[in-house]
Amino acid sequence: MLISLKALQLELPAVAKPALKDLCEIIASLGFPVDGVEQGLEGPVLDVDITANRGDVMSHRGLARDLAAKLGQDLSPVELDPLEEGEALVSVRLEADACSLYATAVLALGAVQSTPPEVRAFLTSLGSSPKDLAAVDASNELLHRYGQPTHAFDADKLQGGIVVRWAKVGEKVVTLDGVERELGGTDLVIADDSGAIALAGLMGGESTKVTADTRRVLLESAWFEPRVVRAMARRHGLHTDASHRFGRGADPGMARIARDLLAARLKRWAWASVEGAWTEGSGPIPRAAISLTKELLQRVAGEPLPLDDAAVKLRNLGCGVEENQVSLRAVPPTWRHDLAIPEDLAEEVLRLRGYDLIPSSLPPMKSDPEPLSSAYRQRLSLSRRLAALGFHQTVTLGFISPEADARFATTPPEGRTIGNPLGYEYSVLRSSLLPSLVHAAESNLRQGAREVRLFEIAPTFHATPDGPEERSTLGIVWAGETGGQDPLTPQGPAHPAALQGVLAALGSSDAQCEVRSLEGGILVAELCIGSIPAEAERVIPTFQGFSRFPAAERDLSLVVPLDLPFRRLAEAIQRALMGTPLQSLTCVDIYRGKGLPEGRQAWLLRLTFQGDRTFTGVEVDGWVGSALEAARSLKAELRG
Amino acid sequence: MDALDLSLLPQEIVVANERFPAELAACSDLDALNRLKGVYTGREGSFAVKLMEKLKSAPKERKRDLGAAINSLKSTWEEALKAKQVDLEGMKKSLEAAKNLWDTTLPPPVPPMGALHPLDRLMARLVEVFRPLGYHVEEGPEVETEEHNFDGLNIPEDHSARGTADTFYLAAHPQLLLRTHTSPVQVRVLKRLATELEKRNGIRFLAPGRVYRKDEIDPTHSPMFHQVEGMLVGKGIGMHHLKGTLAYAMKALFGEGADVRFRPSYFPFVEPGSEMDVRCPLCGGAGCRVCKGSGWVEILGAGLIHPNVLRFAGIDPDIWSGFAFGMGVERTAMMVSQTPDLRLFFENDQRFLKLMGGLD
Repeated sequence: MLISLKALQLELPAVAKPALKDLCEIIASLGFPVDGVEQGLEGPVLDVDITANRGDVMSHRGLARDLAAKLGQDLSPVELDPLEEGEALVSVRLEADACSLYATAVLALGAVQSTPPEVRAFLTSLGSSPKDLAAVDASNELLHRYGQPTHAFDADKLQGGIVVRWAKVGEKVVTLDGVERELGGTDLVIADDSGAIALAGLMGGESTKVTADTRRVLLESAWFEPRVVRAMARRHGLHTDASHRFGRGADPGMARIARDLLAARLKRWAWASVEGAWTEGSGPIPRAAISLTKELLQRVAGEPLPLDDAAVKLRNLGCGVEENQVSLRAVPPTWRHDLAIPEDLAEEVLRLRGYDLIPSSLPPMKSDPEPLSSAYRQRLSLSRRLAALGFHQTVTLGFISPEADARFATTPPEGRTIGNPLGYEYSVLRSSLLPSLVHAAESNLRQGAREVRLFEIAPTFHATPDGPEERSTLGIVWAGETGGQDPLTPQGPAHPAALQGVLAALGSSDAQCEVRSLEGGILVAELCIGSIPAEAERVIPTFQGFSRFPAAERDLSLVVPLDLPFRRLAEAIQRALMGTPLQSLTCVDIYRGKGLPEGRQAWLLRLTFQGDRTFTGVEVDGWVGSALEAARSLKAELRG
Repeated sequence: MDALDLSLLPQEIVVANERFPAELAACSDLDALNRLKGVYTGREGSFAVKLMEKLKSAPKERKRDLGAAINSLKSTWEEALKAKQVDLEGMKKSLEAAKNLWDTTLPPPVPPMGALHPLDRLMARLVEVFRPLGYHVEEGPEVETEEHNFDGLNIPEDHSARGTADTFYLAAHPQLLLRTHTSPVQVRVLKRLATELEKRNGIRFLAPGRVYRKDEIDPTHSPMFHQVEGMLVGKGIGMHHLKGTLAYAMKALFGEGADVRFRPSYFPFVEPGSEMDVRCPLCGGAGCRVCKGSGWVEILGAGLIHPNVLRFAGIDPDIWSGFAFGMGVERTAMMVSQTPDLRLFFENDQRFLKLMGGLD
């Protein structure tokens, strides 16, 4: 909200004293940070951030009131010339309880009107252009100065009496912005015999608008239920200065005063004469008293604070306060809709004292501590291991386009689509991390990266009848050329087997099923974190013995059919050597070059035997013989 | 050599002998040396053989002198050739050695280095900061109910945050939404532990995680971002405890000199509410672009838990009290690192990740 320093001084002369920077600090210390200061025509204009609970501060008078309480200074009196109320000249009926107070007056305007230059300058400095219509400019000025929105109807355009009522379904009104709006049963309208003529608390209507030809005006200064105004503003997408203030709660105590101030301005600026003034309704139910105990205040404040001092602060804010030795009772002023519970009063006391005076100490360590969960630790340790293995952790959005999703999803997107997405490309909660990872890899390659190694750990979403189930998932992508960056490491495309090795290093039991090779040599893998064995809960695993006897290592060079999977051969040999001290069986070299029969390749197998004694050469030869026999059963032959 | 009388020797040999030192010096390898050896001292056709033939045919009375002169000349050549051979062999050996020597100034093969994401590093760091105070990590789902995301947090039924303009709702499950803050974890934990609070003397935890709001992607907004929420429930907890806790955390995070200030603010789920600023880490408070000249940067929102939040979870606010705080991870990361554009954190350019990440 924009605040003109000059206008603020009119309400509270004491703000002239501190330097501007200090004044901004004081305003911030009340809970309203100053986002910026601009030099306006009439001096500095402050952009003050008002919290959503404080509709009462949305005016120069409102901010000055809080500052006056903080500084212990007096506000300037409001120059008021109260209108004498009498019989209603036009019938005003409040049919909906969302409007419980409606102060009005009818005035005849003089032949000439002009808005005083200081008011024009004031409005201009707040970014609001003067209209040179006394009723409009005065209403606008009052809104910014006192926070009470008012409205002037062209009284000669009204047809019959005024009714504040709920709109009829399908009823229409053209608002001052020229938009025809279709209304529903939860829209509160000001109506005359012709139908709706204004949206209550939001905007007046075209049909009764004040123009240069207007001779008589009917003023409206009312109180509308904040909840109703907020809902209407949202429904119609019509957020106005008036709706912001009624929506956060206007001051019912200001309704008559603002009408009188408006009438007084019209008398001065437009030679107006009052034909009559009257008020319908009595306003909302006054707020109940709140009690604050000394004990609660001390707990919140962190130190004993004298209740009489708290009472002074609350009185400065406009509360009616009674206090005794142990507690106080405060009745909030008509403008403070936010005060409802004892903690609210405690906050007010601390706010006026300044939060910087609150002592600072650590709470006692009473509650039982808990270890970090194994799920959290597992994710952290997986991330650290992958980073150490050369992979970069990424963060990508949880929602993607239906096409991207379909590329890796195993189920249709139903049940995990967003009803109101930012756009089509962000409309599905992803069931796989791979679309986003592949996208990131491709864009890195396009940017000239030689090698891309990325991973992400995030939930994936899987539809169930009760809503998406979230699974903690690890996705990995490896693309481009690896190596070639130093004289010892040869360059080559990332090999699927290398990614399998990474998965195996993470503890995945069946790494070979999970690696997929995509177009462009992009390798991907995705695992449910739950399928990776978690770190043992014990710091060190149970001791397992290991042999200190020398291992016997034998290499077996075999010519095998090209279509024989290593796993089959290994399983056959392991079966044949069941009961022998075979420690490991692995393939250490593959040859597929010249000199081999058609359809064959050569494997160099390495068998390692180790046990609780040293083995003789004859024993080992026997085992290797059995291995060879098992290999022969699969059409493998010793390489000559 | 003194005895050598060159006048006794044929002119051809004298010339050759004069050339010998230059020819010897010109031999750059053993092959060249062997060829030179052949020319001067070889078994066939060499100068030495020619001299021996000359000696045979010389008159008897001159044989003795000539023989001495020839021997002297031959041994001069042989010695010089041998010395050169030793030199060349030495050179060859040191060349072989140099071939096997690794130049330690060459770039060594560095194992591939990845990196943790800067946002994850910051969150892990915050967990580390709060561990000594007894906080553990609580987590919750990203798809939440209105009850946990709004109702349990004292957010009025008509609050604009509940609208479809601010919050993502699921098409097939209109009661489900993508959580707009990590605060629903508070509601879940408080509900779960309501009956155990007395036994365990309260609770304190952090809730880091991803949250979603319907913001267009721009340099300072993203529809998905991260928060770290903290909560403590105990008996007699006040604003001083919140201040003490956060002042410690900021010192742990930004260093001993970290200065903080608290301002009143408003969040429906706390009362009193507060925002905390830290002294601008970039300019130290003098005023700069990051702090918009104020010397302070807003870093988190906090306050004492609203009695309605405790009541909703089934906890008696007359017995229990506590505080909660929530920090925007991206905002803090941007501020600390002076990263100019939020989108960089989600673009996943490896160059950015390498520069901004690390291994722990």
